[in-house]
Amino acid sequence: MRILVAEDDRDTAGFIERGLSELGHNVLVAGTGEDALHLLSTESLDVAVIDRMLPELDGVSVVRRIRAARIETRIILLTALGRIEDRVEGLEAGADDYLVKPFAFSELAARVNALARRQGLQQNITHLERGGIELDLLKRKVTRDGDQVILQPREFRLLEELIREDGKIVTRTMLLERIWSYHFDPQTNIVETHISRIRAKLNEGGKPDAIETVRGVGYRMAGND
Amino acid sequence: MTRWRSSAAYRLALLNFAVFAAGLAVLGTVVFVVMHISFVRQLDAGIAEEARTLASEYKSGGGRELGEAIAEREQAGSPERMLYAVFAPDGRRIGGSLRAKRPNLGFHRVTFIDPREGVDVARGLGVDLSPNERLLVAADGDWIERIDRTVVGVFLGAFIVACALGFLAAAVLGRYLRGRLRSISSTAEAIIAGHVRRRMPVSGRGDEFDELAKTLNRMLDRIEGLLENLRQISSDIAHDLRTPLARLRSRLEEGVLRAPAGGGTVQLIEDSIGQVDDVLALFAAILRIAEVESGETRRFFGPVDVSDLATELAESYAPAIADGGRNLLWRIEPGLMVEGDRELLAQALVNLIENAQSHTPPGTLIRLTAIGAGEHVCLQVMDDGPGVPEVDLARIPKRFTRLDTSRNRKGYGLGLNLVSAAARLHRGHLQLKNGKPGLIAIIDLPRLTALASEPEAALAIET
Repeated sequence: MRILVAEDDRDTAGFIERGLSELGHNVLVAGTGEDALHLLSTESLDVAVIDRMLPELDGVSVVRRIRAARIETRIILLTALGRIEDRVEGLEAGADDYLVKPFAFSELAARVNALARRQGLQQNITHLERGGIELDLLKRKVTRDGDQVILQPREFRLLEELIREDGKIVTRTMLLERIWSYHFDPQTNIVETHISRIRAKLNEGGKPDAIETVRGVGYRMAGND
Repeated sequence: MTRWRSSAAYRLALLNFAVFAAGLAVLGTVVFVVMHISFVRQLDAGIAEEARTLASEYKSGGGRELGEAIAEREQAGSPERMLYAVFAPDGRRIGGSLRAKRPNLGFHRVTFIDPREGVDVARGLGVDLSPNERLLVAADGDWIERIDRTVVGVFLGAFIVACALGFLAAAVLGRYLRGRLRSISSTAEAIIAGHVRRRMPVSGRGDEFDELAKTLNRMLDRIEGLLENLRQISSDIAHDLRTPLARLRSRLEEGVLRAPAGGGTVQLIEDSIGQVDDVLALFAAILRIAEVESGETRRFFGPVDVSDLATELAESYAPAIADGGRNLLWRIEPGLMVEGDRELLAQALVNLIENAQSHTPPGTLIRLTAIGAGEHVCLQVMDDGPGVPEVDLARIPKRFTRLDTSRNRKGYGLGLNLVSAAARLHRGHLQLKNGKPGLIAIIDLPRLTALASEPEAALAIET
């Protein structure tokens, strides 16, 4: 993927650039809002990671301008402030995701992947399938190797998110945001308890583990590579 | 009526009116009395003059002369005619045509029989002409009564008209004062509600209200400046302190990747990342509370179904709490609505539940209830754990308060502070009680009814 990183702090920019390059992405770096705007309007990019506080032109204005110019590049806004009004403003300007600094690199990587995937997402899928697990999105039914698995609605949505990401990592905070719409970090790991219940139900009868825990990062469907 | 009585504007206007009316009444009474007395004196002077004249007639010409003089006067029939009688000591009338009893000396009321009008009253003066003859001169005071009646009538009419006008003026004045004051208080309400840029309206007439509005506006500018300053400092702290920490964190993360496997280096670096994260979480919590306390978040308020929210939360937390060896039970009344921020309310409840979980031994029962009581919605989290000493109840919602004096336990004592700030942001409050055993935490919020939401909506359109 071609990814733009617009960040004026060299250390942070370098850290993101190195990390994304190591994952095999093609990374461009801009140090100012004007540069970012220029690159976004001239280059073909998949995802842009834009800091909110950029010199010359702030991140939110960059997003507003490229959205006004009908450039559909997926955008993650970075901010040092976790205020509700900042998040609302960023998303209203047209950003696709929002990440509060500092963040674990794995969090950013997972979100970049998720955004890139969302581009090709088909809207009216009624069935999802991965590794013998089938989800009927209309009837809200789950089967594994043909055996029905009874999941609670919230557990169903969690599993659906994981399968939709098709083996890519989904982080704990992404799940908290998507399933619960919580943008804060509860001390209690409610995601983990839910995942372990889903896992227990899916693995009943000694089947191999269907969900893989990526330590300190999140979860993904098993059976990658 | 109670609304009128409780309004200082109307009270002042009505008091003003009452004083004015009382003044008018006093003025009218004084004028009437003084006038009446002077008319009576005028009448008395006439009577006395007449008595003197008749007495001198008597002195010069005796009874015959007097009789002629009286007869002449009685026949003249002037409009201010006087009435005369002369009495013998035994009360017999020996002269004049006034049909009355023998009078005493001096001025007094005389009751007599008028040949046309029957019994009538007049003012009379009794004078002794000789030891055997007493003269009574009386004058009919009807004209004074007529003037009195006219004056009282005119005055009453004028008084009623003046009162009506005064009352109307009081109502208009009261309404005006109320209106001006209300525009100030509604602006203040809007500012409290989070529209901090709003200012008091200035009419441009330069009156006391404008003076007040201008002073208040200067005060608001100053407060806004200070708040802006504070916010600037907060975001500077957030930015300037978090940025180096963020850099440190990313270095450490890269360090994990480059560290040789084994030897415990990776573990060491990961522990350091954990500690950096703790400090960052503390910053985040402080900034979050500052944000909530600034009240600006109210701009994003909307109707929130707290029953939904609490149910979802309870269902999500029950397994995690069960895994920790405690139990969560909940009883939630459906359809409770409040005006607010869904996430903040969720965070407040999460903090209460997590508090109940982390400060109690395994086996504790935690209960979450949501009930609507009139205009209130009460969200309650209670446990049957060891509870909190009564003396500490008021202290624990304060920032950085931890009852664990060694401060070894995880946490910074900000959880309840956020709950309390969030409750206040939603125009409610947090109440902590001893459950004997255990702690009861109640978030009391104003309930959103279809009616209550309207002024808020109007406010939102206005700005």
